[in-house]
Amino acid sequence: MQTQTAINTFIEETGSWVASQLEACTRCGMCAEACHFYQATGDPEFAPVWKIELLKRAYEQRFTLTGKLKLALGVDKPIHDEDVLHWSKIIYEACTLCNKCSMVCPMGISLGPLIHDVRTGISKAGAVPADLMAAVNKQMEEGSPLGVTDDVYNDRMEWVADEWEVELPMDQRGADTLVVFSSIEIMKFPENIAAIAKILHKAGEKWTLSRKGREVVNFGFYEGSPERTKIIMGRVFDAAKELGVKKIVVTECGHAYDALRWTAANMMDVPAGIEVTHIVALLGEYVKTGRIKLKQGAYNDGAITFHDACKIQRRGGHIQEPRDILHILAPDSFKEMTPNREESICCGGGGGVIAIKEADPIRYAAFELKIDQIKKAGAKTVAMSCSNCRLQFVDCVQHFNLDVKVAGLSQMVADALEE
Amino acid sequence: MNWESILSFARGPFFQAALLIFVAGMLYRLARILTLGWKPDRVAARGSRFGGAVKSFLKGILIWPFIPWVKNTYSRNPIIYWAGGLFHLGLFVTIFLGAAHELVWKSLLGFGWPTLPTPIVDWLAAGAIAAMIALFVNRLVNPVLKLISGPAEWANLLLVFLPMTTGYMLTHHLWLAYEEMFSLHMLSVDVLLIWIPLSRISHFMFYFFSKAIHGADFGKRGVTP
Ligand code: SF4
Ligand code: SF4
Repeated sequence: MQTQTAINTFIEETGSWVASQLEACTRCGMCAEACHFYQATGDPEFAPVWKIELLKRAYEQRFTLTGKLKLALGVDKPIHDEDVLHWSKIIYEACTLCNKCSMVCPMGISLGPLIHDVRTGISKAGAVPADLMAAVNKQMEEGSPLGVTDDVYNDRMEWVADEWEVELPMDQRGADTLVVFSSIEIMKFPENIAAIAKILHKAGEKWTLSRKGREVVNFGFYEGSPERTKIIMGRVFDAAKELGVKKIVVTECGHAYDALRWTAANMMDVPAGIEVTHIVALLGEYVKTGRIKLKQGAYNDGAITFHDACKIQRRGGHIQEPRDILHILAPDSFKEMTPNREESICCGGGGGVIAIKEADPIRYAAFELKIDQIKKAGAKTVAMSCSNCRLQFVDCVQHFNLDVKVAGLSQMVADALEE
Repeated sequence: MNWESILSFARGPFFQAALLIFVAGMLYRLARILTLGWKPDRVAARGSRFGGAVKSFLKGILIWPFIPWVKNTYSRNPIIYWAGGLFHLGLFVTIFLGAAHELVWKSLLGFGWPTLPTPIVDWLAAGAIAAMIALFVNRLVNPVLKLISGPAEWANLLLVFLPMTTGYMLTHHLWLAYEEMFSLHMLSVDVLLIWIPLSRISHFMFYFFSKAIHGADFGKRGVTP
């Protein structure tokens, strides 16, 4: 492990953007109350402000008088190997980078992105938790963390096309839109692929899949490695360029959307003139412009609520579209959880947390907040637009033996299409 | 040395020196941050960055502090919202709208402004002092605050507490003779002025950075900050 590399990375990352925010922190501790991992466990080390401690220490000790003084007096310690290992556990296992804390911090500090910066340092030091690193390596080698190789991809897509009798255009040059699924959908929720294909067909979209850009999930981004994040995003961008599409649609995956839509342009050269959007935005637009028509009240299976994903709603901005859709599908039975929209509570499984076995106890503990919300809303079904959230929900519903249905929004839309 | 000469030192040369250190120190901190360099944000926006920043300030300054219970995290730690809010309110009112301080501003800036009636300022100052005690106790017992508090955090509390209490006692002629208390008040103010640029009390300046960044980041995504 190279602790010095971590320290150097922290210092490199610290431009005005990072430093001014580190300086603004008053150490008031209010952010802790926002974090589902702290709320669920009461472990003070899960306080967001503590998660950025290494970044803060590296910055202070390198750039500020007080930092140097504190170091000389022994009030603060330099960053050691044990620290890097210790924080590796805290920031990978007990943080989903949901950025809820930044909404509670009175100074508005962007804690989520700063914790991502801490991940970058720790990843460069080579101290990423083994389970997560294994998934990253798998994606680097095979193109997918869940083993969706070329062959598996072809087989699965053929099977989906047969099973649900949908058309799945592959590598079509001249299409307008490249749709990229996540391997969670490909392996665990294949019905989502069929649903989205059905909707796109109905809307008359000229779309295509790509064998080259076949995986939207980005484990390099979870890890916080800029190099691997770029390589993985590059596969999608290259495919889009080759096919000459105008638009890339990220399907039900939040972290991938954050990477491709909100981060890529600041990390690498992104192809000009290609818009990146999310399937929920597309659905909202189809419904609004009448390109698809939905059966009013198509859903009638008890109260239904919507879970806002941190990367698609809070950090993606697609807060209204799912509500517009649910108000059509379930005009009387749609109930909000509190808090909701941009203030929603995270599912607890994002940011790569669900991929780390050792995080299971706190991941389940964090979900209890969600259970409480669902119960208070009296919901029988929870709809969502992120497969990673959905994976967490499905796993937790089983773990806690809950009487709750978990629904993907695209599927609900596909089921409600007017002929 | 008698109290008279201590007072004239604390109000005179020491105050001026402290003020100079304060201003120079803050400017240094500002320059230091600005020269680290900003990276341009090349991401195409969905909403307005500027609008988001404006909303973020409006909410942060005019709305949340006055209706903290609306925040869904409020119930988990109400003390910090009340004590934090009351402390800041009392502090700003006393420093800017208290009659005695306004005279200081006038002598420094050359112009003055209307002040609030003394009883109001007085009560708010007392409130701020009580709030500081609550914040102190909270820092002692809250597990997160215990973890993130070092000597600097305790020094912040103490060095703000001293001018506040001596100032309050001064106006109420409590405990010590006027000149003695005034001297203590001025000495503690001087020490605080020197301490601010070295500490996180300087957050009042960086607040404008972090809040603008927050607002712009949410605004560009089309989300209310
Ligand atoms: S980003 Fe989310 S999970 Fe991470 S510290 Fe903040 S609130 Fe907790
Ligand atoms: S809420 Fe904000 S200012 Fe307070 S400790 Fe957390 S990060 Fe720092």
